This record gives sequence, structure tokens and C-alpha cells, in this order.
Amino acid sequence: MQEEYKKSILDKLADKIVYGLGSFISLFKKGWKEKNKSKMEEWRLMLYALNRSPPALIGLFLVILFILVGIFGPRLAPWRYNFFPMLYTKSYDKIILAPPGSQFVLDFYNNTVINFPLGSDHYGRDLLSLILSGARTSFVISIIVISLGVPLGIILGLIAGYYGGKVDELIMRITDMFLAFPALILAIALSAVLPERIQNFISAHEAIQKFILWLFALDIREAGNLGRLLAVILAMIIVWWPAYARITRGSTLTEKEKLYIEAARAIGLSSWTIMFKHILPNIIGPILVYITLDFGGVILMEAGLSFLGLGATPPIADWGRIVYDGAQYFPKAWWLVFYPGLVVMLVALGWNLLGDGLRDILDPKTRRSIEFKVKKSKKEGEANA
Amino acid sequence: MADLKKFLIRRVLTFIPTIVGVTIIVFLIAYVIPADPAKAWAGGEKASPEAVERIKERYHLNEPWYDQYWFLIKGLATNTLIDPRTSNPVLDDIRDRFPVTFQLAIIAFTFTILIGIPLGLISALKRNTWIDTLVRIFALIGVSTPVFWLGYLLLFVFFVKFRITNLAGVPPAPPVQITHVPIIDALLTGNFTLFKQHLARFWLPGFVLGFMGTGVLARFVRNSFLEALSGDYIQFLKAKGVPKLRMYRHALKNALVPIVTVLGLQFGGLLAGTPITETVFALPGMGRYAILSIQNLDFPAVVAITFIYAIIYVTANLVVDILYAVIDPRVRY
Repeated sequence: MQEEYKKSILDKLADKIVYGLGSFISLFKKGWKEKNKSKMEEWRLMLYALNRSPPALIGLFLVILFILVGIFGPRLAPWRYNFFPMLYTKSYDKIILAPPGSQFVLDFYNNTVINFPLGSDHYGRDLLSLILSGARTSFVISIIVISLGVPLGIILGLIAGYYGGKVDELIMRITDMFLAFPALILAIALSAVLPERIQNFISAHEAIQKFILWLFALDIREAGNLGRLLAVILAMIIVWWPAYARITRGSTLTEKEKLYIEAARAIGLSSWTIMFKHILPNIIGPILVYITLDFGGVILMEAGLSFLGLGATPPIADWGRIVYDGAQYFPKAWWLVFYPGLVVMLVALGWNLLGDGLRDILDPKTRRSIEFKVKKSKKEGEANA
Repeated sequence: MADLKKFLIRRVLTFIPTIVGVTIIVFLIAYVIPADPAKAWAGGEKASPEAVERIKERYHLNEPWYDQYWFLIKGLATNTLIDPRTSNPVLDDIRDRFPVTFQLAIIAFTFTILIGIPLGLISALKRNTWIDTLVRIFALIGVSTPVFWLGYLLLFVFFVKFRITNLAGVPPAPPVQITHVPIIDALLTGNFTLFKQHLARFWLPGFVLGFMGTGVLARFVRNSFLEALSGDYIQFLKAKGVPKLRMYRHALKNALVPIVTVLGLQFGGLLAGTPITETVFALPGMGRYAILSIQNLDFPAVVAITFIYAIIYVTANLVVDILYAVIDPRVRY
């Protein structure tokens, strides 16, 4: 028996999103909506496919949550990341590590109270605030690494695959050199080695320094620690691009033999136009899936590196670094290891679920089967009426 | 066969430029190390200028880049590169720590295979049921779990709560060494108390390190087994009325070819994961050594370890390629 098709609220939302997007683009390009009806139909089916895959929806929810907390986390946090209260009990015994759910009086005169829903770290900082602020660090790092490393790999892969010959040989030899290392090992070595030079560069350029501090929502006092943070970013970019160069080159090689590329060459389009306007859109699908999965990968690797003591230094809030500092109080202060690690896992899981679902969504077969169901039920609906 | 020989020779020959490339990158890593490692080694700000000068002399830090490159390559080749922190030749230090890392990787690998392959086969046979979905989610959780988090979580359960694992030191190697991997040697020489001690120390870190690859391997086994099952020869066997189990045996043989490749690649991946696992479980292996040297900006050690890891990784890839060509006669490049 065929499944009966009913439009859910999510499907209606999908209709509205696609319609809104079409209208929005039409504001800038006259008549875009009418011309690209079939494209919009495909987008709609993609969103329908997304609605039918609960794991992908959960992933999307986690990812959106991560992005929102990444942007607004430092503001949402009850305390700043560099707020170090001295924790005392009423009997004035100093307490260093506050367990989750505890409450401390900061100031007996005014009776100011500080809550620790997730406990405190060994400086007395609120762990919840640290995790919220740490989301920004993770978010910015993953965005920068992906948005610089991936395009670099794609461009080099396109050039190597399209031109072939000596260019290909040169680019791929360099790529192989980098791929000869296990990624984490190379990243460890690089992020250990790079900080001082980057720090010197940053200190010399005040505008860049201010911009980066703003990106990470840090105080000016942390300017001296930026070198280490940026070293990790640069190290991960260096580690990340070769895989993309290889993937892109492979699919470019098969794509450039196709007839429409030959036609494009015959009418005299420039190589760059062919590469970026014709080949790239046709091979970007699988790459998009890799990118989504790699957001999780970058966040995991960054957490791993800072767990090894590379990258962010206190007081900068960073999930891996909280675990690194908290591990010496393990198992007494289990919350310092448990909560930040849990957050890292959930974020990585979100990206992986989304990426895994995206693979199905971008597959034209899934779309056709959904289209079939939708159209069938429409016909039945008309017959019934 | 001549074809195979040609392929093997070509594949081994491409190994050489890769190694040269590795040394170049390794050198660049050492070269960008900031201005004054010498000062740090000699004891920071209080260091006497003569000591700093002597260190600079010894490590050729004042020479032009080609001289430094040659110094590094020669040092790695003849084992004359001295680690300023431990004052031993770096490769000796690595040799002492290598068995721990290797043993860890082997145990992790065993876990991956023992759990991953059966899981994959089950989920292929029960395709599109809840078991299959469960394995899929398990695979995703596996790749999303930070190694350090899982490590501490299991430490809490098995060490703090139940005391089923051991955390202090590393048991000694058995007196008779055959493979130089202590746990295997202990088993081969029949020294079961030592074998037990090694197992008590290594099973948990091994499991944690292997966990990430388990789900991935299961998914891969599932897909390649399903692909093999959809082959024409299986249809033929079905038509002939061959019992199911024998049919699966035929499919499995063909499915194994890509599985071997993935296993080889995963072994390389496991080695890369060792620094974090060794840090969590306080194992004195290569990864831990790398982290300690890095904190001291100890470039000879960093360089040598990165180099050794790369060599192992590249060799693993080479072995996989060769195995692939040997196992599957259809593959020729």
C-alpha cells in the first residue's frame, strides 16, 4: 500500500522558506523567480527530504543551537570568562572547586550570590559561563579553518585536475607531501612551532589584533595569547586543504571529459569561467557533504589540540583547555571533564548527523521518490474532490 | 605476474619522493621554530651567553638553511641528533617509547576488528531494521566522541568505581624478546602473569583509542558486504539452491578486499590518535614524549617524532596498496 501523503507543518514551513527566498532574490534580479521555477522546486523537495529524516533534523537543531550560542554565547553567559571570584564559605574557609548546583555568597555586605549550575573551575570561574564563552572560540576557529582551508584545497584541486600535465604533477606532489603525515601529528607539531612568529606579526598590526580580539570576544588583556590561538588555526588550515585538493582533483578529472565542457571550450569560454562556473557547481554536491562533516572534525581536532595544552591559554575560554586544566583534579572535580567534553561531543554529533543526512538529501534519487509521493497524493486529492 | 611486479616496483619507487617531501616539511617545522630555542634549553633568561652560544653551535642554529637541513637529515640518518631535554640521541628515546605506542595501537586495532566486523555483518544481514539504524548511529557517535572525554568517562567507571584497570607505570618487558612488543612476547614465551599485567594496563586505553574507528569499520563492512551480495555470482548461487551460509562465505571473500584496505588506513589513523590517549592514561609512549618535548620547544625531538610518525603512516599506506594488488587480481594500476 502506498503511504498517504500529508503536508506537515514542517513541509508548509519549507514551502514558505523557498517562496520567500525566491521573492528575495527577485528583488535584486528581476524575473528570477519565474525563470528558475524548476530550481526552486528542487530546493523545496530537498527541504521535504530533510523533514523526512529525523537524524538530520536533530543534527540541524544541534548545529543551529551551536551557531546561535557561538554568536551570542559570551553575551548569554552570566559572568565574563575572566571573572575570577574568590570563593569562600560562610565560615571563611577558602573553597577552590565549587561542585555543580552549589551557591556561594560573593559579598556578605550586599549579600551578592553567585550560582554554579555546572560547578566552577579551579580559578573559581563559573563553568556554565566558560562553556558558553568557549562556544565562541570553537565557532570562530571552525569557521575560519573551513572558510580558508577548503577553498584553498578546492582551487588547487580544480587547477590540477583541469590543466593536468606538469601543473597537476607539481600540485599533487605537494599535496602528497602533506598527506604523508597523520593530520593530528602535523597539527601538533605546527601549532607548537608557529605561535611566536604569529605573535610578533599580530603585535605589530594593531588593527588586525583588534579585529581578532573582537571576533573571539576577548579583552585587550588577552592580546599576548593570540599567537597561540592563531597558530592552531593556521596549523589546521595547513592540515585541512590537501584532502580537498585530492577530492576536487578526482571529480574534476571525470567532469572535464564530459560533452558540455567540450562545448564550453568550443565556444571559447576562458578556463577560469569553465572551472568555476561550469565544473565547480557540478562537483560541489559531495564536497558540501564533506564540509559539513569536517566542521565536526575541526571542532574535535581543536578540542584535542587544546586538550594537549596547545592553542588557547587561560583565561581564554576553550572547551578542550577546560578539560586540560581540570584533568588534574579528576576524579574529584569530574564536572570539569564531563561537561565540556559532552558539549564537544554534542556539537560534533550535530554536524555529523547533518552531514550524513545531507548525503541523502543531495541525492537526486531521494528527491524523485518524494516528488512521486507528493504528486501522487495531489492527483488522488483532485480525484476525491 | 610481470604486471604485478612492475606495479610493485613503481609503487616502491614513488615511496622515495614522498620520504624526501616528508623531510622537507619536517625541516620547515624546525626552521620556523622561533628565534631562540637555545636560550630556553640553556635555562631561560638566566642562561649564560656562552652556554647559549655553545648550544647554537652544536645545533647549527647560526648556519644558513641548507646547512641546517643537511645537519637534520644527517642527524636523523646516523642517529646523532641529541635531545637537549634528555641528553640522549633522539632516535634512542623514541626506540624506548615506541613499544608502548605500538602495543597500544595493536590492542586498539584488535578491539576495532573484533567489534567492528561482526557489527557490520549483522547490520548487513538485518538491513533496514532497528539494528541497522543502531549501528549507523553508533558509527556517528564514534566519530563524534572526543577521545579524551571517552577516556576520562571510562576511567571514572572502571578505575574510580570498579578498579578493573591499572593506571600506574608500565609492566616490564619479558626477558626473551621476539617481536619486541611486550604483550605478544609475554604470550609467546608463556609468561601469563606478565601478559595479564599488560592486559590490565592496556585494555582500557586500547578500547578508547579503537572506539572511534569501530563504527566506521562496521558501516564499511556493511556496505561492502551488501555490495558483494548483490553480485551476479550470488544470484547464480541462489538459483543453484546453495545454502545461505555457504553463499555468505562466497560473498564475504569478495567483500574482504576493500575491508583490508580500510583496516590498513585505520591503523595509520590509530597511530595518530595515540598522543591524546597516552596523555589521558599516562602511558609513557611516543605521543606523550612528543607533547613533553613540545612544551620545552625541543625541536630535535619534535622533528624526529613527526618524521617517525610520517614514516609509519606512509609505510602503512604502502603495505595496504601492495596487499590490495596482491589480494585482488582485478586491480592493476
